[in-house]
Amino acid sequence: MSNEREITLCEAIREAYVEEMRRDERIFMLGISIQAGTFPHTKNLTDEFGVGRILDTPLAETGIVGCAMGAAQEGLRPILDFMYAGFSYFAASELFLQAGQYHFLHGSQHPLPMVMVGTCGVGRRVGNEHATLPYGATMHHPGIKTCMPSTPYDAKGLMKAAIRDDNPVFYLWHTNLMMTKGMVPSEDYIVPLGLADVKRSGSDITVLTSGQLVHSVLKVAEKLKDEISVEVLDARSFEPFDLETLLKSIEKTTRLVIVDEDFERAGFAAEVSAQVMEHGYDLLDAPVKRVCHPNFAVPGGYIDVYTMPTQDRIEAAIRDTCR
Amino acid sequence: MSLTAEQKLMLFRNLARAMTLDKLMMRIIRAGRMVGFYHEGGIALAPGVAAGSFLRQDDIMWPHYRAHGLGHMLSKGIDVKYYIAEHMGRETGCCKGRSSYHMSFPDHHIFGFSGNIGANFPMSVGYGFAAKYKKQGQVVMNCSGDGSYGEGRCHEAMLMSANWQLPVIFWCEANGMAQHSNVKDLFPGPNISSLAAGFGIPSKIVDGQDLFACAEAALQAIDHVRQGDGPIFIECKTYRVQEHSVGGVNFEGPTQRDPKLMAEWRDSRDPLKLATVRLLKEKILKQKDIDRIISDAEKEADDMEAFCEASPKALPSVEELQLAVYAV
Repeated sequence: MSNEREITLCEAIREAYVEEMRRDERIFMLGISIQAGTFPHTKNLTDEFGVGRILDTPLAETGIVGCAMGAAQEGLRPILDFMYAGFSYFAASELFLQAGQYHFLHGSQHPLPMVMVGTCGVGRRVGNEHATLPYGATMHHPGIKTCMPSTPYDAKGLMKAAIRDDNPVFYLWHTNLMMTKGMVPSEDYIVPLGLADVKRSGSDITVLTSGQLVHSVLKVAEKLKDEISVEVLDARSFEPFDLETLLKSIEKTTRLVIVDEDFERAGFAAEVSAQVMEHGYDLLDAPVKRVCHPNFAVPGGYIDVYTMPTQDRIEAAIRDTCR
Repeated sequence: MSLTAEQKLMLFRNLARAMTLDKLMMRIIRAGRMVGFYHEGGIALAPGVAAGSFLRQDDIMWPHYRAHGLGHMLSKGIDVKYYIAEHMGRETGCCKGRSSYHMSFPDHHIFGFSGNIGANFPMSVGYGFAAKYKKQGQVVMNCSGDGSYGEGRCHEAMLMSANWQLPVIFWCEANGMAQHSNVKDLFPGPNISSLAAGFGIPSKIVDGQDLFACAEAALQAIDHVRQGDGPIFIECKTYRVQEHSVGGVNFEGPTQRDPKLMAEWRDSRDPLKLATVRLLKEKILKQKDIDRIISDAEKEADDMEAFCEASPKALPSVEELQLAVYAV
């Protein structure tokens, strides 16, 4: 029997760090104010690992990403923390043109194991830079694996998988889920990158989503349970994306709504919609529908809670697709 | 720090080889047999040879792109024919023909390149951090031109290297030009190395046409960083006597650079000619030894060209390439 405890999502990430760093001395962390534990996932890590392995850096994102790349090529396994994922855009060249493409361009001879961590997400009224979800951009550029957990269990398992992967992985976590609690085993386990998860089984419609919105969709599914049986699929990884599990689900439900917190245009939802057109058109009884953030900056003030995909919009899209 | 006769001979040989391969590359590109572009080295190759000639195999290097780093790499002991093959899009290319102009010699701790100038800076911080973390005495030879110091990355890298006291050599091969602009129009002071002072990084300026002066500076810099004294900045003053990239214009701002001046520099400041005079005067070599070194270098270039020509063009399938994206 698994020895499970209830812990928060950030505690789950921290456990993954601690266990992996104990296991492998090549792992070190660098980032912006991680020693102080700006967020609880890095709190007090210096107690065990010291300031030589948990490094605070200047506010120098290009420096940090390049540093992680160089250290990885020289045999270390860096985990770098941007604090907010939107800050990573300072390092666009390192991120989009180099980290993900170095291995391929240089003859696939040398691995580049590095984990980039950043929090993101809409709904904390902090505006665009702190809310921006970069997975649409990272999945567009070849070579960067990208994931985002919705539960503490997935958070720990995905982080362990990311750390053990020999490629650049952008690990996103949603700021609103920081203190979300869930059961997590004490034993070692991973959640493989590229594996979606059915968070609720259903038969009338599939709703593909991720992160914070998994919880919104689950609430809508519960509300609709006597009318429409909703299958809730958590993508968990954006790249590689688990198209197989999605198609299996659509085969059963014949309908798909994609609920994505990122901008609608040219984002994850658009990409999955196109893939389903190409590989699952015959399985569908209705057009794929997207519920995303509109194509304007994530606003601050009192606005973001209703421009993001709300439960009302999700419900309307499900009803519309099941008509 | 004075060089031994043996060291001078080794340096001279490396420079002769580098300048001969530069000419080979010019022949290849002019004949339309190169797949990408080329940035002629001309008379600017002494700093790179000096930078590479005293490194251990496990020392990390990022070569400067002038002459595409051929001199840096052959001086570090790398068989560069695989790199030339890469320029010709061959299966035997060091990147399997996928890059046109990138180097990849992980066994020699040269991991690659980037067309985005300045990419070397943050990565060198990472190399330096790993070297310090692993405690095996490795150093980082981080080479680039003066133009690259316009990138914010260089400031971040000097900051982080100084703050963490990393074994990184900022090796600047300053030819006074940044593509089609004169560096004096882009920087407020006369010497790029003055940037180092702001980070508490010691620096030195050396005559980049004097192979042996560059080599002495390299030895001092390597000693400095290897014994844990933190980063150091070496500025080698050199010249660009031709266009930035083969086939482009040779302008500075709106004005063409004077072809007569270029020819005069090419003639009077050729580092191999200057080194030849020194070696003859110091009786380290006789003219017939020098002739032999040059003819050996030419033979090496011919052999490398033949090797590349004999290699099949790299034309992998899309499926094969798709499987090569991730390390497995």
